[in-house]
Amino acid sequence: MPITILAPRPSRPIRADPEDNVSSASDTDSEAGGVELDGDLPMTTRPSKRARLTTSTASDIVTPGELITDDPQWMRGHGTYVTPATTAIISSVAGTITRTNKLLSVRPLRARYTPEVGDLVVGRIVEVQAKRWRVDVGSTQLASLPLSAINLPGGILRKRTETDELQIRTFFAEGDLLVAEVQQLFADGGAVLHTRSLKYGKLRNGVFVAVSGTGGGGGVVRSRRQVWTMDAANGGGQIDVVLGVNGYVWISKHVETAEADGNSKAAGITNMEENVSTTMYSSQNDRIEVETMREIARLRGVVTALVENGLRVDEDMVMRGYHEAVEMAMVSAGGPDDIYLGGEMGQQLAAALKGT
Amino acid sequence: MPLDTSTYNLALLRVDGRRWNELRRVHAQIRTQAAADGSSYLEMGHTKVMCVVTGPSEPGPRRGTGGGGAGGGGAAAGAGAKAEVVVSIVIAGFSSVDRKRHGRGDKRTLELQSTVANALAASLHTHLFPHSQVNISLHVLSQDGSLLAALINAATLACVDAGIPMTDYVAACTAGSTSTYAANDEGADPLLDLNHQEEQELPGLTVATLGESDRVVVLVCESRVQVSRLEGMLAVGVDGCKQVREILDRVVREKGRRMVQEGTVEKGIGLNEMDVD
Repeated sequence: MPITILAPRPSRPIRADPEDNVSSASDTDSEAGGVELDGDLPMTTRPSKRARLTTSTASDIVTPGELITDDPQWMRGHGTYVTPATTAIISSVAGTITRTNKLLSVRPLRARYTPEVGDLVVGRIVEVQAKRWRVDVGSTQLASLPLSAINLPGGILRKRTETDELQIRTFFAEGDLLVAEVQQLFADGGAVLHTRSLKYGKLRNGVFVAVSGTGGGGGVVRSRRQVWTMDAANGGGQIDVVLGVNGYVWISKHVETAEADGNSKAAGITNMEENVSTTMYSSQNDRIEVETMREIARLRGVVTALVENGLRVDEDMVMRGYHEAVEMAMVSAGGPDDIYLGGEMGQQLAAALKGT
Repeated sequence: MPLDTSTYNLALLRVDGRRWNELRRVHAQIRTQAAADGSSYLEMGHTKVMCVVTGPSEPGPRRGTGGGGAGGGGAAAGAGAKAEVVVSIVIAGFSSVDRKRHGRGDKRTLELQSTVANALAASLHTHLFPHSQVNISLHVLSQDGSLLAALINAATLACVDAGIPMTDYVAACTAGSTSTYAANDEGADPLLDLNHQEEQELPGLTVATLGESDRVVVLVCESRVQVSRLEGMLAVGVDGCKQVREILDRVVREKGRRMVQEGTVEKGIGLNEMDVD
């Protein structure tokens, strides 16, 4: 009895069309009983043909090295490059094509945060230098926060003095978290931050969540409102949420400040003065009730569940997710104390959000 | 254990049942680690490699992923106008048949590190990220030949996942020849994608090309082979690299397509619509 060699079967069923090709090719091969060294093999040419097909029909994804267009009317944007002496625009990242008039750019599926002027970011102080801080904002480089770009105690209009330089660590020390705005960009992509507003400054009374993989559209997106105060369920009081565009999220207990009062306008700078000096650079947490802590933890769970399940993080999604999570906790065995939103619970949450 | 290469002439099948031009099963995944900037997992047969990319980010004693790596110039690290590519490779003690401890200063590992670093630095657009550093850390979980090729492929995938702009994929594979150097057989067939057994016995080389072009970025040959056989081996290797590129590309596309479907990434404009006006 002759020995027959069966063609290897894929462990996973693949589409009928390529499967047929594979088996027929190997059949002819074994019948010939040998292989031609010089012959062009069908195996090498076929996959490329299939790849072409998918680009034009199934998905709009381009991958590095893929030709986007060779029409000279287009200009190249981010995520593309042009080889010398040609007009062909080639993608340099894996992502989706975006077009702005005649500018073609590729938005990567995922990349590090690239700062833009006006972005609200949450950052962590990494290094203290003579006249500035270096802040990790999840970008390719550390951002810098000059001493002259913060609100100094004793009124925002006060001039920076040498005493301030000497006690620079009393404002921000290594490891401190802050919320700031991108004021200026350097040519090499480095950012300069400022906190010259009562909205910005040191963060306390809360929890930090880093959402990776932003800048490509997933995770936190630039939106109209990145900071809001919400009423927590189950007697949790008010909670502030700060979604930094760089993917760093801050969730904290809401603390009433003089700024929120109606009469602060009349008092003007004097009021602000006190406010700045007393609370602005304190690293001491206020007293936080257990209920508030629990709701902060629940919100954090919502944000991580959104990211794990590939949903975007913005005010609408977080609020809907939070209400959904509260309801899920109500019906669960643990009652409102059940804040676990990982694994199946997270998937359930994501499914509920996608459905509505 | 000596490999009886004489059987090849009878059935034209190699020890693991492949023909001369067949790759082993290549299985790859990207975004295996949610917390990393980019990550991948790659299997070429029984060679299994994991890769994590951090960066581009500002280099510093505190922020670095620790451990020495190739390409690190010490004090001047990352000070230039280009991002620096730093590769560190950890070969697990249990990865090969005989349990071996690979120290940090292992010469073989150091050479692998600098080869991978140079190959990727040639493709990555490092000039876009001044004063920064791309950390690529590779973990070898299991070895069965073609280790360098698997390392390069895994690192490429992780860099694509990290969204670092690059000229094209760097795809690598190995090629060999069916008879030993000593046999001096002019008619020996070239072989594609050597496993460990073949690698021990037969002459072989590792080749990596830039995307679909024939531009070779890595060519490593550590064994003796007649120069007349080299051309055939190289041609087969370059051909294999193109197959590998297609496989890697399919993995990335599949992931991208899923992300578009899930709504994580906004849909872009189609290539066809663009050409209309």
